[in-house]
Amino acid sequence: MKDLININARGLAEKISSQELKKEEVISFFEDRIKKVDPCLGSFIEKYEQPVKGEGKSLLSGLPIAIKDNICIKGKKITCASKILANHIAVYDAEVVRRLKCAGLDIIGTTNMDEFAFGSSTENSCYGATKNPWDRTRVVGGSSGGSAAAVAARLVPFALGSDTGGSIRQPACLCGVVGFKPTYGRVSRFGLVAFGSSLDQIGPITTDFTDCAHLLNIICGHDHRDSTSAFLDVPDFTKSLNADIKGLKIGLPKEYFGQGLNKEVKVAVEGVKKIFQEKGAEMIEVSLPHTEYAVATYYIIASSEASSNLQRFDGIRYGLRVGGQNLEELYANSRGQGFGDEAKRRIFLGTYSLSSGYYDAYYLKALKARTLIRRDFDQVFKKVDALLTPTTPTTAFKIGEKASDPLSMYLSDIYTISTNLAGLPAVSFPCGFSSSKLPIGAQLIGKEFDESSLIKLGSAFQSCSDFHKEIPKIIDE
Amino acid sequence: MSNFEVVIGLEVHTQLKTESKIFCSCSTEFASRPNSNICPVCCGYPGVLPVFNKRALELAVRVSLALECKINQSIYFERKNYFYPDLPKDYQISQYKMPLGEAGILEFPSGKKININRVHLEEDAGKLLHKDDCSWVDFNRTGTPLLEIVSEPDMRSPQEAFDYLTYLKLILQYIGASDCDMEKGSLRCDANISLRKKGDTKLGTKVELKNMNSFKGIRVALEFEAKRQAKAIEEGEGITQETRLWDVEKSKTIVMRTKEQAHDYRYFPEPDLLDFSISSKLIEKEKALVGELPIERRKRFLKDYKIDQKEVDIILSSVWLADFFEQANKYYPKPGELSNWLLGPFLEQVNTLEKGFDSVKISAQKFAQVVKYFCEKKLNNLSAKKALSLSIATDQDIDSIIEKEGLRQVSREDQLSVFVEEAINENPKPVGEYLEGKVQAVMFLVGQVMKKSKGKANPQVVREMLKRRIEK
Amino acid sequence: MADKKDVEYVANLARIKITPEQESSLEEQLSKIIGYIDKLKELDVTGVKPWRGAHITRDVFREDKAIPSEAREEILKNSPSREGDYFKIPKVIE
Repeated sequence: MKDLININARGLAEKISSQELKKEEVISFFEDRIKKVDPCLGSFIEKYEQPVKGEGKSLLSGLPIAIKDNICIKGKKITCASKILANHIAVYDAEVVRRLKCAGLDIIGTTNMDEFAFGSSTENSCYGATKNPWDRTRVVGGSSGGSAAAVAARLVPFALGSDTGGSIRQPACLCGVVGFKPTYGRVSRFGLVAFGSSLDQIGPITTDFTDCAHLLNIICGHDHRDSTSAFLDVPDFTKSLNADIKGLKIGLPKEYFGQGLNKEVKVAVEGVKKIFQEKGAEMIEVSLPHTEYAVATYYIIASSEASSNLQRFDGIRYGLRVGGQNLEELYANSRGQGFGDEAKRRIFLGTYSLSSGYYDAYYLKALKARTLIRRDFDQVFKKVDALLTPTTPTTAFKIGEKASDPLSMYLSDIYTISTNLAGLPAVSFPCGFSSSKLPIGAQLIGKEFDESSLIKLGSAFQSCSDFHKEIPKIIDE
Repeated sequence: MSNFEVVIGLEVHTQLKTESKIFCSCSTEFASRPNSNICPVCCGYPGVLPVFNKRALELAVRVSLALECKINQSIYFERKNYFYPDLPKDYQISQYKMPLGEAGILEFPSGKKININRVHLEEDAGKLLHKDDCSWVDFNRTGTPLLEIVSEPDMRSPQEAFDYLTYLKLILQYIGASDCDMEKGSLRCDANISLRKKGDTKLGTKVELKNMNSFKGIRVALEFEAKRQAKAIEEGEGITQETRLWDVEKSKTIVMRTKEQAHDYRYFPEPDLLDFSISSKLIEKEKALVGELPIERRKRFLKDYKIDQKEVDIILSSVWLADFFEQANKYYPKPGELSNWLLGPFLEQVNTLEKGFDSVKISAQKFAQVVKYFCEKKLNNLSAKKALSLSIATDQDIDSIIEKEGLRQVSREDQLSVFVEEAINENPKPVGEYLEGKVQAVMFLVGQVMKKSKGKANPQVVREMLKRRIEK
Repeated sequence: MADKKDVEYVANLARIKITPEQESSLEEQLSKIIGYIDKLKELDVTGVKPWRGAHITRDVFREDKAIPSEAREEILKNSPSREGDYFKIPKVIE
């Protein structure tokens, strides 16, 4: 039974469908692991007594999955790791949840995150930080830290996260798993508590590209309830697994390999480059000249949209209500007590950027800078099929290390942020370990709606590397 | 007061006649039960997203065309951010920088033109009910599609404002865009009013007036405010730019209690809704549905039907009535007679029906038939009214009614002579009075004959017969 | 740069009550962040159109059909303070 942790989701599903394993055995296996291991990680916010059952057949049916706690599951608590929603129960299923259920997957619980997805460390959760399974004094990354940790520690075969500025890819990188952010519009946002409406996407966190492709097949597709949802057909992503990558052109944006990049990370990513070259892909140096403006652009747009999206948490119709003498006090007290520090910072920053007198200089300007950042990618993708970069400048930092310096936390998003601004698909995958056995991740960025190329390249890399097979030892087993 | 010029602009919000709300599928039908037409989307739940109702766009385009606006080829929405309990998301999806329609005109029958500044789409908020120690919120109305129509400050009197609203309502009803019922809240209006010395071109300080619940109320409120401002200026007090509420009980405007903060709405383009194109195909389609505007219809009525202007205006005040009239005229082209019967007995009877025009079942053709029978003297006045009353809510066949009720007018003297004789014999006093010169006394006798003939006698014939008989 | 007045103004706009400690901490942190974001001032965006981010900007509509929601009762149940069919709040003076 212990061996199950070495089998990927697709493998487990096959064993269930061939009746080599019973579905109940698989679920109890993971539930046992959660019970034993999660107390020292804190990756789950709520592990359900009974899973929310799926009804339907797919190549993944019978498997348990964990969902980041900002995605609505009807009848279940959805907290976004915030006091303001601590007891709120969702009244409808998110589109992705509907699809998972129709594919026969069981949802076994919700995972920890930075409050309202504001953060890159999962330290901003009202439930406390999730610890990195590879070194429990270090962060898991964020904001989908709980999902990444749960998959890394093999507490679930796979999980869903959400990515606005890197929130799937960065924690996946720091935890040594695969984290995929689809093209903006590929996956419905209906039922995802909005942070940056023009940036958010839900995506899979898995141990390998096979599971990733299968899960993408399930969650991608048009949804009439999301006006930003793309009207495009979804290709069968599994057809791209282990396909030949000969002749593919891969760009290396020079701005992503400069100052601030940790040496060990650089070396590991070079290793990826070598393998791609061995397999016949061509590496080309390119430039994304407006990269230096990405963080500023992102934080203005994301915070502005967030500040507006979070106005609805006002104590009137649901969520935390803290009374006062009058309505104004009700608002101010509920929101003052309900939101954590980082949430307050983002709301303040966003409100400021949109406020009278500042709109043109900040928000409007940021939307124009966004066009320039997008153009950089358009130019580059005329020459190459994908880009290869590091996912983060360093490996996982210590818990508490950046807590007092929010700006330095924002700057560490430098490699992931531009892809959200440009709405492009991107994936982080394990490509090495540091000398202190901390995972290192590389990132592939693709053209819009070309998730297939990323799966081709990623699976090609994984077919001749074993980094993704390594599992952290958390407790003595 | 007489050396001042009153400058008025009106901001009208009208609910568009759609089946469902603007961004979700909840019904817009009036619901007596609070919070019954609600869903996670219009209640601003976490994770929900708006999807735009096609019909709302169509009706908005139709109104903009009726008001001769320049229509933007591509529109988008913006978020207007503020906190209020009737606003579930604490932002309203509206339009700001680029409204759907701009620079339109509304023309009165008198020829006066009011310029329209803008026409834009937005979602309605909910309702608050105030109790002694708390307030209650009802979100049924939240998300109803609203069209905001802002006029230029072109009105020069409270009466002109009243006329503007009357005419705007007529247009909106004519083109089927809105019910415009102020009592039901499907039309709301705020006014801006300022004064300036006659001859001045610069606008005075404007005051915004809110809380008026009827067109008359708006006129009265504006009249009060104009006087108040004139007095304030004359006494050297000056006018503060502020919002005042119309207090209908005290018949005066009062300053709003809540401190008027400079509103920082932090408008920005709605990221959850993309752009919407208004194609020339859509414009053509809606133009056809605008059809004939009230002002054009009025010109045509006066020219083609040659009936009195006052009567035309009454007929045209209701789309239903105007359509009914024109239909009837097709079957019996005597507009003068039709108008008499329509505005007289027909309307009288409609007023007794439970749902007014909605209860009317009689076809225009049958109505025309009744009028025709009267004119051809097949029915007398009483019988025609009776036939109408029996068919108005049932659409019963007129000829069958006449048969069954025996309403056919009796004009043959041989059939009436018995009654004439009897009436004369039974009533010597009026006979005597008539012979003395009181000509009107014969009418009493006519009435008697009508009674005896169970209302079927032709009163003109009876009158002549009586006169002849008496004078014999 | 954000100063005390800015922070107070924004706290009011955003309806968030903050303690004096939070106020000074926010002032400091926001100043730093805004100082960084001011980097955008260097960027020349003459002639550049703003981009709201979605790839496909087709006309996305809904047919005008009324469909009742099943969530009505749950929505009322979630109210922090309920009075029958209404959401109850402190008295609002208009």
